[in-house]
Amino acid sequence: MKPKVAFFDFAGCEGDQLQIANLEEDLLALLGQVEVVSFREVMKEHSDDYDIAFVEGSCTRLQDEDRLKQIRKNAKIVVAIGSCATIGGINALRNYREIDDAKRIVYGDSANLFDAYTARPIDAIIPVDAYVHGCPIDKDEFLHVVKSLLLGKKPDIPTYPVCVECKKNENICAFERGQFCVGPVTRAGCNSCCINEGTICWGCRGLVDNPNENAQKEVLIKNGLTVDDAIKKFRLYFGWQERRR
Amino acid sequence: MKIISKGDFKSFVNALIMDSSLNVIGVKSKADKFAFGSLESADDLIMDYDVTLLPPKKYFFPQRETLVTYDVAKGFSAKDPVEKKPTVIIGVHPYDIVALLHMDEIFRETKSDPYYFEKRKSSIIIGVNIQKMSKWCFAAHMGCATIDHGYDLMLTDLGNRYAISIGSQKGELLLDKYAKNVQNALARDIQLVGQKKREVIAMTQQKLDFSPELIPELLSKSYEKSAFWEKHSEKCLACGSCVLVCPTCYCFDVKDNPDLSLEQGERVRTWDGCLLEDFAKIASGENFRPTRPTRYRHRYFKKGKYLYDRFGFISCVGCGRCSSNCLPDIANPVNLFNDMYHETKASGVQITPASTPEVNIQTEGNIDYVPRLATIVRKEVMTVYETLFEIKLDDGSELGHAPGQFVEVSVFGIGEAPISISSPPTKKDTFELCVRKLGNVTTKLHTLQVGDKVGIRGPFGKGFDPEALKNKDLLFIAGGLGLAPLRSLFNYVLDNRKDYGKVTLLYGCKEPRELLFTEELLALTKRDDVEYKPTVNWCPENEVWTGNIGVITTLIPQVEFNPETTYAIVCGPPIMYKFVIADLKSRNVHDDHIILSLERRMKCGVGKCGHCQINHVYVCKDGPVFNYSKIKGVPEAL
Repeated sequence: MKPKVAFFDFAGCEGDQLQIANLEEDLLALLGQVEVVSFREVMKEHSDDYDIAFVEGSCTRLQDEDRLKQIRKNAKIVVAIGSCATIGGINALRNYREIDDAKRIVYGDSANLFDAYTARPIDAIIPVDAYVHGCPIDKDEFLHVVKSLLLGKKPDIPTYPVCVECKKNENICAFERGQFCVGPVTRAGCNSCCINEGTICWGCRGLVDNPNENAQKEVLIKNGLTVDDAIKKFRLYFGWQERRR
Repeated sequence: MKIISKGDFKSFVNALIMDSSLNVIGVKSKADKFAFGSLESADDLIMDYDVTLLPPKKYFFPQRETLVTYDVAKGFSAKDPVEKKPTVIIGVHPYDIVALLHMDEIFRETKSDPYYFEKRKSSIIIGVNIQKMSKWCFAAHMGCATIDHGYDLMLTDLGNRYAISIGSQKGELLLDKYAKNVQNALARDIQLVGQKKREVIAMTQQKLDFSPELIPELLSKSYEKSAFWEKHSEKCLACGSCVLVCPTCYCFDVKDNPDLSLEQGERVRTWDGCLLEDFAKIASGENFRPTRPTRYRHRYFKKGKYLYDRFGFISCVGCGRCSSNCLPDIANPVNLFNDMYHETKASGVQITPASTPEVNIQTEGNIDYVPRLATIVRKEVMTVYETLFEIKLDDGSELGHAPGQFVEVSVFGIGEAPISISSPPTKKDTFELCVRKLGNVTTKLHTLQVGDKVGIRGPFGKGFDPEALKNKDLLFIAGGLGLAPLRSLFNYVLDNRKDYGKVTLLYGCKEPRELLFTEELLALTKRDDVEYKPTVNWCPENEVWTGNIGVITTLIPQVEFNPETTYAIVCGPPIMYKFVIADLKSRNVHDDHIILSLERRMKCGVGKCGHCQINHVYVCKDGPVFNYSKIKGVPEAL
């Protein structure tokens, strides 16, 4: 019997589910291996009977916790997809200010109508079995993770930084182009897609397990970034991870 | 030497490009940098570049390469033959040619890598003498700024014309076939080329303060200086840039990539680097080079000492790519070596060049990356984590292993893992693997059933030498899963019992339920020609244990042996060795009477991928069985 899979979203833009919906012919091949029972972005039906739950988005309110715990209870395997779910994502940027300030900025006079607390990745609430990092996720890596899970294998997620892929792709280093990049401390797996296109790594896949953060900040500052800006570079995606370190 | 005008040279290049049977590569611009790439017109070719982003090795040892394809229904096969077009690479600097010569030696040692050589052998290298030099380049110090061999053709820019040195018949034929108006060089041209080559040396901006022939010896004297290595690597990002851009780095990883049918897929190798955190990590989680300073040090030792000892060359050609790619600026070998030199000199230590190593590179056939199909014929659960698999090769052949050797076991779609062979060579039709459920491959293997297929490569490595141990007393010391490789020798000895003296087995586990081969071991207690002593570290209340309680070393004082005639054969978890060896030595066992079997991350099994390397030793090829007297001076071994 094909494993049943379901997709869920929390605070996020649903861009990761969109990547999956956009898999084109691979999507058809994938549907030969799994049965999708819930995927709000592409179907109306919903079922709570599933084996693998793919969860997008951060946990940003107390009531999100109950829903996450229910998903964990229903699923044999929980996979976090996208930066918001895996590392807190850009939602965690708000953790640098008072929550009431953040609410006022976003909701204005209606701030009292909304709940919000420290934004966090889903593994702050429930155990997570596999991660598909990225903002948005990379289609190939998503397929790699799914294939691995179906074969009963731990997905192979790099522990090394983006520089590895960037060098293999023979890119000109962003720093050599006068730009500032956090690729040297960011987990690879995206095939250095942003630098391949001539921009920089923003760090959407989160820090590697043992980043040399001081050395990286020094590199940023040595190349002309102010200390403040170097810190901001790290805050964009690394906020939750940095707080925990 | 020949002469060709620049206009005729351009026509020559265009003629090569026009020939669709050739794959023509040249240096092209990439923004304000340069890279080797496919040439569509001679106009794109740049000959006065400083350095390319990546070296030309990518054409012979690509970033990603399929080694094997598989189909669950059909088994493993060599990858489909690629286009066998000869690759002509135009504009290779001398240091990159030297690097290719190094790679040739590395990829042919012991067993030749077919994927590298299928591309390399048909290649045609057209070099060019350096006209502009990267400020990081120190090739002149390494003797690699100019070269008189290793190319098919070598060009020198003489203003309106190129001088061409012909390095091979292949080069000469190429020139005959595709170039027009090639003249013989005049004496003044030859003189001019000599002058140009001398000018190259003078372009060097980097300054090595001493002769590079001192490097191996300097490194030897600096291994233990942990403060030195910590200071230099403090800012290391472990990003691997230095090794990934290196023209002589050859380490690789091997991974399986199933397609969406999950029934078919490919096994690919990708560039890897010893600076990366998990490079020496094994499935149990043990990391044999866990810190940045140890990995940073390994890189310099590999280039300046280990490869020198094995091949007789310092495997750094001075291209300066590592220096220019290191963001914290800690990878420049010139800075490190100068600092090492001055520090060593200041401490009053005399440095003389190391004696030239004896180099004897032999090639015995090709590496076979394609596993043989085999069937699980018996499966016996031994503990919660360990199962014994009896395996038969489908082609009916014998594995033909020596005790202590290992095989690479493939599980479809998952990958390959090194597993030591547990059965003695006296068992011929099948062989046994005692496997602990740890990583992806071994976990999946445990779910397979009798009749299921696996892939087998090997046997690999140097095992025990049962002949050399004949008539000796043998003291086997096994910790946990360490019994698995020892059993291949132990059972061989029992099968040939009269050939050996006293036989003792000391076997320790954490707790009784972890003991392996319990029935076999129980049978030993009924024999009077074998002494068997088990121990457990502790016994939980719900289990029964009447034997010794304590770590494995608590058994050693309980046995009598004559150190003159006894050989100790030891295998266990990494932590065990130093304690057992210390106790054996305190009982006067000679170093060369201690034989160890070591575990490391073995990916290729043939001394190429670099993962199992401990200092200069490849565990997969030089081991996994080592005589302690040979390995005790290897700091990373124990």
